[in-house]
Amino acid sequence: MTTLMTRRTLLASGVATLAAPSILRAQEGDIAIGSLTPNTGGGGPFGPNITASHKRVADAVNAAGGILGRQIRLYQENSETNPETAVRAADKLINVNQVLAIIGTWSSSVTLGIMPKCQSAGVIQMCTSSSSDIPVADEKGLVFNFQPLSPIWGRAIADLVLSRSIESYALMALNNDFTRSMMDGFIEKVGEDALVQKPFYYNAGQSSYRSEVTQLIEKAPEAVFIPSYVTDFTAVYKELYRQGYAGVVITTSLSTGDQFKEAVGAAGDGIIHGFPVPALNSPAYKQYLDEAGLEDTGSVQHPFGTAGRDQMSALLLAIEKAGTADRAAVARAVWDVTTGEGKTAVYNVADGLAALRAGEEINYSGASGSLEFDEEGMVLGRDFQLSEIRDGKDVVLQRLEY
Amino acid sequence: MSVYLVSMGTYVGFFMILALALNLQWGITGMVNFGIAGFYALGAYTSGLLTVRLGVPVGLAIPAACLAGLGLGAAVALLSVRLREDFLAIVTLGVGEMIRLIVLNEDQITEGPRGLRIEARPFGTMIAPEHYPLFYLGLVAACVLLAYAVCEAIRRAPMGRTLRAIREDDVVAAVLGKNVLLHRVRIFAVGGFFMGLAGALYAHYVQNISPEVFMPVVAMFIWMSVIVGGAGNNRGILLGAGAVMVFLEGTRFVGDFTDALDAEKMSALRIIGIGLLLIVTLRLRPRGLLPERKFNASSKLSA
Repeated sequence: MTTLMTRRTLLASGVATLAAPSILRAQEGDIAIGSLTPNTGGGGPFGPNITASHKRVADAVNAAGGILGRQIRLYQENSETNPETAVRAADKLINVNQVLAIIGTWSSSVTLGIMPKCQSAGVIQMCTSSSSDIPVADEKGLVFNFQPLSPIWGRAIADLVLSRSIESYALMALNNDFTRSMMDGFIEKVGEDALVQKPFYYNAGQSSYRSEVTQLIEKAPEAVFIPSYVTDFTAVYKELYRQGYAGVVITTSLSTGDQFKEAVGAAGDGIIHGFPVPALNSPAYKQYLDEAGLEDTGSVQHPFGTAGRDQMSALLLAIEKAGTADRAAVARAVWDVTTGEGKTAVYNVADGLAALRAGEEINYSGASGSLEFDEEGMVLGRDFQLSEIRDGKDVVLQRLEY
Repeated sequence: MSVYLVSMGTYVGFFMILALALNLQWGITGMVNFGIAGFYALGAYTSGLLTVRLGVPVGLAIPAACLAGLGLGAAVALLSVRLREDFLAIVTLGVGEMIRLIVLNEDQITEGPRGLRIEARPFGTMIAPEHYPLFYLGLVAACVLLAYAVCEAIRRAPMGRTLRAIREDDVVAAVLGKNVLLHRVRIFAVGGFFMGLAGALYAHYVQNISPEVFMPVVAMFIWMSVIVGGAGNNRGILLGAGAVMVFLEGTRFVGDFTDALDAEKMSALRIIGIGLLLIVTLRLRPRGLLPERKFNASSKLSA
């Protein structure tokens, strides 16, 4: 008797498993969109915000009746900030879920890693990556980058610190594409002559950065610039502190988030850091804070979550504008709804849809920036901000549009 | 869906070749290799760089990658002449990391962290793009068969018995007049050959490789395949590689069923789930899904 029951249960669960894929598949007529975000690994502090933004925008549009009379079906995958895993996740999104676009990739190696697959399937990509290789590798005009390329970061940070009359710099960067090209941009602005020695790279994940730091401050530069990520910068900074460096430490704001401030405490005071920030005074940013349930503190929150909102909004508006879910047409329409003058300015997807349906031309301005794209799909015109850590808090020194 | 299955089949193929090679080295001969990712990277970058930098045809670049793996395998085995098993583990782990760091830092040759784009594909111009994935699956399957045939031939040959003797106790094997070092070097080289092959096939398949792909975690997936499949049994290895890929990728589909958890929690749970599946498998089948058949003296005698 017991065996019989077990068999029945088995049979039932088998049938259930077979029937299940119909639930999983997008309903006929749904528009499938893939979200591939770094929920764990190096991008772990940022991925969840991006994912949540994608879902909020999609849910809001679905609740209001969808796009072109169709619902949005969002498939969310974790890239683990690892190109090896991300390629397989992208494979699933493209071939099983048949997505129109894969949005939210963060690390350049992931964006570039999945690009051959996306290009051959004609899938649109929207990312916040900064490798200068991205526009080069995008042969079909399907990639939109919501973050300035990293040489621009370096130039902007250099412009911001130039006014501080620092005469000599020493530079070292984490050895990855993002931080290396940032260093190149920085050198371009401050000039080779201001460097006390040849800049060099260090590898991530070392147990000690003692020899690197010793080399960095050997010639007693007035300031050091260290493009990095938070995990390695924390270790590097502790070593700088231990060796008693008294000059100015400059880095990116990605390295000096709450995780860093908790780790170093009061020793972190005086660090100067910069990065592209959301347009803090834009209505879109205020709306974003509302949607995400955050208080307006005046300081930068969710630098990548805001970009996530803009990715999904721009994509959905482009679908409405194109009037079809054809990938190439939607890709072209992304420029139509985000870029160009003399159009109705909109700050969220609901207003945008209403204006499009009223037959107006729109220009979506996002929470992450005014969101104008050049012909290669790279974002133009982001605000950069330079801050200093004082008493464990960021104090804004300067802001600049770039 | 079918395109997806073809593509996953191709990935399983890479895993199978690597796992067969590891089984030869560890499962049969008892030599620990934690540097699989390094051999994989060596194969991928050798073949990729030869085609990108020197314009060597893919048909020559892939064999060259195999030979590079062979050479490295032999060299590592020779280096470790006087090392016990656990020390060999450390040496291989070091070699694997060294290769990754060389690739990362010698960026004038390898493009370093920017990653290397590879246009060349085997028969890329002759086969229509829509048939290409299926063709590549066939190519990888043929390589898996080749690796399987070679590994199985070694296992069944008298040499296989010697290797197992070395695994169980190398001193005994040496006393019986077997040249332990020669066997070890040979087997490590053959294993390296196939790891190089897997790397080259991977590189021309994904067409974009960067040092981040070859983190030590890749080695762990292959170890999982061998342990889950059944160390020492080549057929078990094929099954194990398939099972690990089902664990890794199958868990992705859970998220599509339910909205109960947000994507962030789902992705963390997925990784925990993979670990749990492994533990359960090993609890139920401690010697793997298809354990190695042990020679049993009493059954032979009674027969």
